[in-house]
Order: sequence, then C-alpha cells, then structure tokens
Amino acid sequence: MAGPPNNSPEASPSDEQVGAPISEAEAIERLRQSQDPSQQYYGAWWLGRMRSQHPEAVPLLRLALRQRRPRDLGAGVEENAVARNAARALGKLAPLALAVVSDLLEVLEDPDDGLREAAARALGDLRAQKAVAPICRRLASGPQQAGAPRPGTPRLMEPCEALLEALGSIGLATEPVLAVVEPFVDHERPLIRSAAARALLQLSGEARWGAVLVNLLEHPQLQVRRAALMDLGAAGWRPALEPIRRTLAENSLKLMALRGLVEQGSGEPSQPALLACMDELL
Amino acid sequence: MDECTAAGIHRPEQNDGRGLERLVAAVRGADSSEALLSSTEDLAASGDPEAAPVLVEVLGFNNPGAAVAAVDGLIRLQGAAVEALLQLDAENYGARAWAVRALAGIGDVRGLELLVDALGSDVAASVRRAAAKGLGNLQLAQLPAPEQERILQRCLQALLAASADGEWVVRYAVAVALEALASRLQSRGQPLQALLAGLRSLDGDRDGNPPVVQLRARLALERIQQSWV
Repeated sequence: MAGPPNNSPEASPSDEQVGAPISEAEAIERLRQSQDPSQQYYGAWWLGRMRSQHPEAVPLLRLALRQRRPRDLGAGVEENAVARNAARALGKLAPLALAVVSDLLEVLEDPDDGLREAAARALGDLRAQKAVAPICRRLASGPQQAGAPRPGTPRLMEPCEALLEALGSIGLATEPVLAVVEPFVDHERPLIRSAAARALLQLSGEARWGAVLVNLLEHPQLQVRRAALMDLGAAGWRPALEPIRRTLAENSLKLMALRGLVEQGSGEPSQPALLACMDELL
Repeated sequence: MDECTAAGIHRPEQNDGRGLERLVAAVRGADSSEALLSSTEDLAASGDPEAAPVLVEVLGFNNPGAAVAAVDGLIRLQGAAVEALLQLDAENYGARAWAVRALAGIGDVRGLELLVDALGSDVAASVRRAAAKGLGNLQLAQLPAPEQERILQRCLQALLAASADGEWVVRYAVAVALEALASRLQSRGQPLQALLAGLRSLDGDRDGNPPVVQLRARLALERIQQSWV
C-alpha cells in the first residue's frame, strides 16, 4: 500500500482500503509510535473510520493533535497531516471525544488554515455548542475578508465552507449566528453559497434556503451539483426529491442525498416515495 | 453534424445497413467528449442489435456520459446485447463495471455468474449495488421449474452473503433484491425462511445498519407478508 499523500488537506485513505484491515490494537500501536508519521496518519484515520471506542484512542489522538508546528510542505508527511487526521477522527468519536473539545477549540485558532478546517469539522460533528462563538468570530468579517481569496492559493482566508457547515451541524439558531452566516449566501464561489444555504436551512428550516440549494443542482459545474446534493442530504430537505432525481450527477451521490432526506428530513414527500426513488437509482 | 445523428428523431432508414454504418462511424470518429456522447445516444436509440458490440466498446472509452448512454442502449436491446457484454475483456475494469450495470438492467440469466462474482468481489460499491439489484430481477419465466429453483437459490445465497457488505448502499440494494426474489420463490419452505431471516438482520442495527437500510428492510418484510393475505 502506498503511504498517505504528503500535503493534501483532503487526503485520506480511500474507503476501499478497509478491505485489507488492520486490527484495532494495531491501529493504536501505529498511532502511539513516533518514528513514522505516515503510520500515525493511517492509525488516526483508522480509529475514526471504525469509530473506535478503545479507551486509549481519544488520549492518543489528543497527543497527535498537539504534535503540530508551522506548516512545512517539504518535510515528507508533515506533522500537521497527522494532527489533521487526529482532529477528523475525534469528530467521529462522540461521546468519548467530548472530553477534548477544548483541545479542538485551541486548534481552531491555529495559524494553519488546514488545521482550522479539520477542527471546525470535528467540532461540528461533535455538535460542540462551545464552538459557536469562536467560529462566529472567525466568520464575522464576512465574505469580503474572511471569505477573500488567500493570495497565491486556491483557498480563502478562512476555511469558510467548514466553518459554515459546523454552525449548521451544531444547530444553535440564534439571531447573531444567522446574521453571521447569511452574507455568505452571496459569496462569489458557489461552494460557499451552498455551505451557507445548508447551514441556514438547518438552522431556520426556511424554504428560501432550500431553494438556493435546489438552484445549485442546475449549476454547470459537476463539482457544485455534487456539493448541493450533499448539502440537501445533510439538511434533509425533502421538497428537493424531484430536482435531486433529475440533476446530472452520479447515482451514488443521489443515493447519499436521498438517504439524508429519509433520515434527517420530515414531511412531504413521505418516506415511501423517497425509498421508491432510491430503488430506481440502484 | 450529420442530419442522421440529430437526437430524438426517429428515422426508419437508420435501421437499414447503411444507416447503422453511419451511426457507428460517428461513434468511432468522435473527436470530442460531446461528439462521443451524442453519437452514442444516437446509436443507442437505433435499437439495432448489430449496435451491441459497438456500444460495448464505448463502455471502455473512459467517458462516463457516453457509458451511461451506452448502458441505456444495451438495456434496450435486452437479450440481444448479452453475448457482446459477456465477451468483454475482463481486464478492462472500467468497462466491466459498466457491463455489470447493463447486465443487471437486462436481467438475462446468462449474466448470472458475472453478477454473482461482481456482488461478491468488485471493489466499487456502485458496481456491487447494481449487481445486487440485478440478482433480484433475473427473467426466469421461460425456464423449466427445476432450473428456476436452482438459479433462485444461487441468487439467494449471493444476496444473503452480501447482507454483511461494508457499504450501506449495497445492503440497501440487497434488501430491495430480496424483496423481489421473495415473490418468485415457489414455496414457503426453507429458502423463504432464510430470505426472511436475511431481511430481519438488515432491519436490526446490530451491524451498524443505518436507519434507511432498516426502513427499507422493514418495508420489504411488510410487503412480503401482505402478499400472503
């Protein structure tokens, strides 16, 4: 098996590698040793993927989270890659990981925006209410500043997509939170618009935000249509059934979105109609 | 673009030899992704059994849009497409994955072994999912009863084994296929009992079945029981 990719913030072993499994004890050992960061990277990923409830998993992931330093892309598997995977894994390990929310909040202030992104997603997954205020602070300067392009990179000044999605997942629907999120519905990048509409739909349940996502299902870029599918699924927006069925994208993603409509949503169209549509797409 | 390849217009002359030749030439000569897609759609729409080997070729072109159109065309050809699909080069993984979808959609028993094999061992969940659905929908009415029973048994065993698949969407497809299979079992004997046990295991959260899989399995169990009343 090839080692994990070096410096992509999105890098994670593909799900297919689960087929050649290691044991939980082996994953713990790989994370514990400190000679080979690529083994730590894989161990951290494995513990999250398998939602390990091993008593040592969270303490070791917490140590890995601290094993970070200014980003150095030339240094093989850079240590922040291990910290990023540790953060992602912690997001999947509720309730045990709730004990380390304060560590994740610290990472949310890290200079490395890739780490902030991973921490935001984990805090969203853990539905950590304590994260709402610091996330709102990160976004408060709005699309023109927090959402401005970072010179010389394809990224933004803040990992807006992850921060917005976390607010939606945590679900604290107060006026100040809505006021921070709403301007991002007009961001120039469609993926940010999608993330903002998803969060607003989750927080307020208002149909106008569902309509923004349904419109994005007709965007000319496949990548945007895919994101809108995932966001409609996360929000469980059942009125989107027909547009989801019709949009041009892989059936695999439509099925994931429809699963979200079944599990997260309520009302019309009803469950049998949703399941019948899923049957068709298999 | 050649006027014969305008999509959606039925022209009887396409079905003579020259019409087909032109459609095939358009597919083979396509010099862009868009041209390949539209020429494949036209060839698929011809409904000509002679188009099958060329549509199978398209499955190997690494162009998902054109492959979807080719799969649709092959499913429309039904049994006439099966031989061409079975002759596919097993080494061409991408093409094979599309062929599984086509065979699953056609439901011809000659595809049985390939579907069983794909469900049990393909690396892509999307292929295993299609194979599972296909195993629930094989057309058996023309076969003698003992042969039907043998094939149903084979489908049942493969589906029950896949009810422990690592991906939820494959388990979902297994629930759908088991429901389809139940109506075709001749008796309520041991095979049906095994089938129901399989659905009941999908209706529990023991193996981390997400709610959507449990709901689908429960719906299948309810419909099977209603069919007895």
